[in-house]
Amino acid sequence: MSKASIGRQTTWVEKALRVALYTVLIIMATVYLMPFLVMLLTSLKDVEEIRTGTLLSLPSTLDLSAWSKAWGEACTGNNCGGISPYFLNSFQIVIPAVLISTLLGAINGYVISLWKFRGSDLFFAALLVGCFIPFQVILLPMARTLGWLGIANTTTGLVFVHVVYGVAFTTLFFRNFYQAIPGELVKAARLDGAGFFTIFYRIILPLSTPIIVVTVIWQFTQIWNDFLFGVAFSGFDTQPVTVALNNLVNTSFGGKEYNVDMAAAIIAALPTLAVYVLAGKYFVRGLTAGAVKG
Amino acid sequence: MNTKAANSGSRKTQSGRPARLSLADWMPKIVMAPTVVVTLVCIYGYMIWTAVLSFTNSRMLPSYKFVGLDQYERLFNNDRWIVALTNLGIFGGLFILICLFLGVVLAIFLDQKIRAEGAIRTIYLYPMAISFIVTGTAWKWLLNPTNGFEKLMIDLGFENFKFDWLINPDMVVYCLVIAAVWQASGFVMALFLAGLRGVDGDLIKAAHLDGANTFTTYRRIILPSLKPVFFSAMVILSHIAIKSFDLVAALTNGGPGYSSDLPANFMYAHTFTRSQVGLGSASAMVMLGCVLAILIPYLYSELRGERHE
Amino acid sequence: MANLVIDNVKKRYGTTEVLKGINIAIEAGEFLILVGPSGCGKSTLMNSIAGLEDVSEGRILIADNDVTYTSPKDRDIAMVFQSYALYPNMTVAQNISFGLEMRKVPKEERDVEVQRVAELLQINHLLNRKPAQLSGGQRQRVAMGRALARRPQLYLFDEPLSNLDAKLRVEMRTEIKKLHQKLGTTIVYVTHDQIEAMTLADRIAVMKDGEVQQLGTPQEIYDNPANLFVAGFMGSPAMNFIPAKVVSQDGNPMLELATNSTVALPFPKPEALVNHIGQTVLLGLRPEMITEPQPHKVGQDFVTTTDIKVEVTEPMGADTMIITRVNDAEINCRSNPAYPAAPGSVIEMMFDTSKAVVFDQATGHRLDK
Repeated sequence: MSKASIGRQTTWVEKALRVALYTVLIIMATVYLMPFLVMLLTSLKDVEEIRTGTLLSLPSTLDLSAWSKAWGEACTGNNCGGISPYFLNSFQIVIPAVLISTLLGAINGYVISLWKFRGSDLFFAALLVGCFIPFQVILLPMARTLGWLGIANTTTGLVFVHVVYGVAFTTLFFRNFYQAIPGELVKAARLDGAGFFTIFYRIILPLSTPIIVVTVIWQFTQIWNDFLFGVAFSGFDTQPVTVALNNLVNTSFGGKEYNVDMAAAIIAALPTLAVYVLAGKYFVRGLTAGAVKG
Repeated sequence: MNTKAANSGSRKTQSGRPARLSLADWMPKIVMAPTVVVTLVCIYGYMIWTAVLSFTNSRMLPSYKFVGLDQYERLFNNDRWIVALTNLGIFGGLFILICLFLGVVLAIFLDQKIRAEGAIRTIYLYPMAISFIVTGTAWKWLLNPTNGFEKLMIDLGFENFKFDWLINPDMVVYCLVIAAVWQASGFVMALFLAGLRGVDGDLIKAAHLDGANTFTTYRRIILPSLKPVFFSAMVILSHIAIKSFDLVAALTNGGPGYSSDLPANFMYAHTFTRSQVGLGSASAMVMLGCVLAILIPYLYSELRGERHE
Repeated sequence: MANLVIDNVKKRYGTTEVLKGINIAIEAGEFLILVGPSGCGKSTLMNSIAGLEDVSEGRILIADNDVTYTSPKDRDIAMVFQSYALYPNMTVAQNISFGLEMRKVPKEERDVEVQRVAELLQINHLLNRKPAQLSGGQRQRVAMGRALARRPQLYLFDEPLSNLDAKLRVEMRTEIKKLHQKLGTTIVYVTHDQIEAMTLADRIAVMKDGEVQQLGTPQEIYDNPANLFVAGFMGSPAMNFIPAKVVSQDGNPMLELATNSTVALPFPKPEALVNHIGQTVLLGLRPEMITEPQPHKVGQDFVTTTDIKVEVTEPMGADTMIITRVNDAEINCRSNPAYPAAPGSVIEMMFDTSKAVVFDQATGHRLDK
């Protein structure tokens, strides 16, 4: 969709417009970058510098003490071991939850797209609604259920919750992807003598790499960034990092250490930012796929 | 498509022979079963459960003494709830409008054969990878009146500059808007950019041959063809707005007082910390109602569209 | 090779009946073509034979075994699909041998079989490629190779040529015919292309609305269509249908035509028309039966020459189609390109009614059976 006028002299109006265009884009880029830059600068200053300087003043020395404090010593609530244990909690929750929900989504999508049975489309519609409900409507019953199952306040409980409410999305992703696979492929394989799982494993799964990457990244980001389930269903020592960060920032005794807050915030954001930087293409694809069709 | 398994149960034959009922035929249903059960129980079952609780006088623990619509009456007589709903209206409306505007404009700008488009796009979109808790923490620091933005402007020479929205009960909701727009507008940009890239090139060539300039082409041809993207973006954004909980928790914690509460925070506070399960459930049901009011027309048109494909 | 019996097969989805009692029996080694417009049930019938869809009623027998409730993999059937349905992640060789692998054929035997099939179809040089690296015609060959590798009792072809361009389609058509003659396989072949049907089939089943309209050899169906639908469906350009009044001349029923002048055509089976004198029937006359006057035929029984007014001509190389109006119906005539026929001019043409057929205007039934 280029509006470039090929073979014609660009007039000064067009040149001026181009300059204006780039200016706007660069200003906006600065605006988007600023908060992160400020966080980074703040995390490298000491408390005194923060009080005297401004948001954008550069730190006089490269002081990493706020980072080590945020990681290992800062107090979240009554616990003063930094956010590192919670950072590990998050991984303990995220990894199994992502794996299980992705696997279930793949199988469900396979059935809904290629092994339709009476009611499977209706079920898919019902599942779609599950992508959208405000989780407030399930919060209390789920809290009671986790209690009955004996996994309240555990990371296992959080894995369970994330799988249950993530499977709607993963199913949606795989279903939309598999929808493009011709049903004749499955028919051919059945005549060749392959069964349900053989077809999945030998023919469908090898085609699924792109959607697996998209789903894994989507689920990883969603679950890592979750706060609601974390705050509602975790115990003191099973909190995910988002909950710990919020506690740390809102712990009111003692002087406010913004440098430590910012260091902790960056630490909490690092894994998802790393995924974004490394696999941005798939991240965006997941966002738009989840959005446009869901 | 394969309809085999569906018919296994009801198959009749002339000779009255038993129909084939092998394990293989049931496999698709068997593997779907866990998801079906979990969905029915944990989404629909719980929804009903919460609905039931909203008609009871449950306080700290669920009780099943029904009190009709009492909780809803209490809810709408509760000042804090009214504040939360009003905030949702202001926050949601501004958040959606600004995100859509920024998203469309940035997408169109980025669509002009921009050098380093990839890098700029990456910068616009990165906040979407971050948790609302981190966003809230960052903006809490940026917007704090003592050391934040206000001080920066004063030190830059604007001596009378005042920016205390974060502690001003009348303005605090706009802080939520700022932070949320920062986080989500790049996402809307990405949606529209994908939409723009999908517009049929011949359509644009035809418009140019008809003598339309760039501006007219966008206004009359391209943007109207992106109506579905507008629609999706609106639904996603309103959905984010209604569910917003973590941003408030991190940025303002509902304060000052409860002036920046949103319904999600109201629900959480009453259900889990203030022992008002009945009232909390009623507020959750109202939230569900809001989402469904937006969602049902959307899903209806989506599914209908799919059938026409 | 095996025979196939389709015995009163019915298929319902809810209350809609898509197969209304199909009866077809084919011999071992026979090439049967199912032809009909889309939605006529031919694909459903195909899927039912393969076992990919269950039938609601009736029986299907392969090699005299009732397989109505046998699962697809145990029917010993291979199928070639319209989209080819090649496994995208496997090489050509793996595609061909997958069915054998599923049947636990040892690796060495599979390799031998892949070689045999590859030579048969001249695809040796493609064995290590993935389907995405093949042209349409090559994919088509691989799809056939996959079917041939298992040496099944019965082959099903579901519109296998419809994704190919016109030239390749003709080539592959010949190829399939040669293969059938060479291997003597039993084949059921679905198409909506009536030329494919004519050229390939031992017998054709013309289907419409879930029923077999006519089952017969290509020539039978061409010369002796059971009803108006079959007559109109087979043949290109299609048979001309001319509403003609039955008049009595010297006691003989004749068909009255208004061309440039009015003539009465004789009909080979006058007894079929005796009861319709004064009524209007539909005369079915293939384009090649309306030609320029040919000296060796003029004067024979059932040959009539008359003037027509040329509306449009469509030169096709070997022939020129002349389009004119008779009894207010547009009709195609096939003439020699050398015969002068300028649009708008009035020329003499010869109507040969020795193979004409007549239909009831309202019901489409043949009247002269």
